[in-house]
Amino acid sequence: MGSASLKVSGGKMVNTKVELHNDSIISVQFTGDFFLHPEELIEVIESSLIGKRLDEDDLAQTINYVLQEHNAQLIGASGQDFARVIMEASQ
Amino acid sequence: MKWRVIPLEIHDAATAMALDEAASEAVRLGGPPTIRFYRWLPSAVSIGYFQSMEAEVNLDACRRLGVDQVRRRTGGGTVYHDHDGEITYSVIAPESFFGKDIIASYNLICGWIVEAFSQLGICAEFKPINDIVTQGKKISGNAQTRRNKVLLQHGTILYDLDVKKMFSVLRVSEEKISDKMIAAVEDRVTCVRKVSNATRDETYQALCEAFTKDKDFYEGEWTEKELAYTKELAKTKYSTRDWNFQR
Repeated sequence: MGSASLKVSGGKMVNTKVELHNDSIISVQFTGDFFLHPEELIEVIESSLIGKRLDEDDLAQTINYVLQEHNAQLIGASGQDFARVIMEASQ
Repeated sequence: MKWRVIPLEIHDAATAMALDEAASEAVRLGGPPTIRFYRWLPSAVSIGYFQSMEAEVNLDACRRLGVDQVRRRTGGGTVYHDHDGEITYSVIAPESFFGKDIIASYNLICGWIVEAFSQLGICAEFKPINDIVTQGKKISGNAQTRRNKVLLQHGTILYDLDVKKMFSVLRVSEEKISDKMIAAVEDRVTCVRKVSNATRDETYQALCEAFTKDKDFYEGEWTEKELAYTKELAKTKYSTRDWNFQR
């Protein structure tokens, strides 16, 4: 289990705890003071990352796809920030 | 539609959050848009929807000091709601009143607070994402959710500030609660009492006037249905470990 935190410049704090097996994500949870509308989508985002390999751009693309698909708004952080903090937690 | 204004009330944390949700449900069903003001008793810590209670809050200190804890249905950060140190508000209305642009709607509602500060002689401004600042220091924090086409924005107006007490209930190590750190926070956060001679009552009156300016409104009460739903939500959601420690 790895963990990391990122203070987004001009934005909010994003923390993550990530569990890996052979460079693939088994579980991931995000916490922080960011805003996501609708809020419940956080669990969909987390689920969408299970089984994904550690590639920052791919992870960001997956998160952004979920956001777009649900017409959601992430405020104070971006999909790329979420991906970046997973990569940091994985080191 | 006429706005309903619920004058200043005092509630425990679970009830305060349950009332916001019950009022949101009432608006969803066609009830009046509502503005409410409240204070917290006992004093409480609220965490944002995405935050971890265990990571953010010193639960031992809360127990020792009799400070409540609750997780909000809005995002954003951890707030210490001192019974004597702040006034809290909620605005609950159809999303269509404010439009899709979330930051623009923060700006609009925070503009009412800025107007109240102006009446008190405090020059303040909205600072995106969700703060109001005066002299470069935060004096109000706000958070918004939109569910079922209903907007809920709640926020705090800092009237008085005791940084040491605030830190004692937040998860900050004892060593960090140094004079230097307290000074650093006092450089970033302020309160009405530090920048004005206004009393808490005068602050509340200014907020009431600014929030209702140019609006058709009446001073109202909670309905029986809202109160019953609030009681249920406070018991089955906002005072439960399942909700408060979900992340």
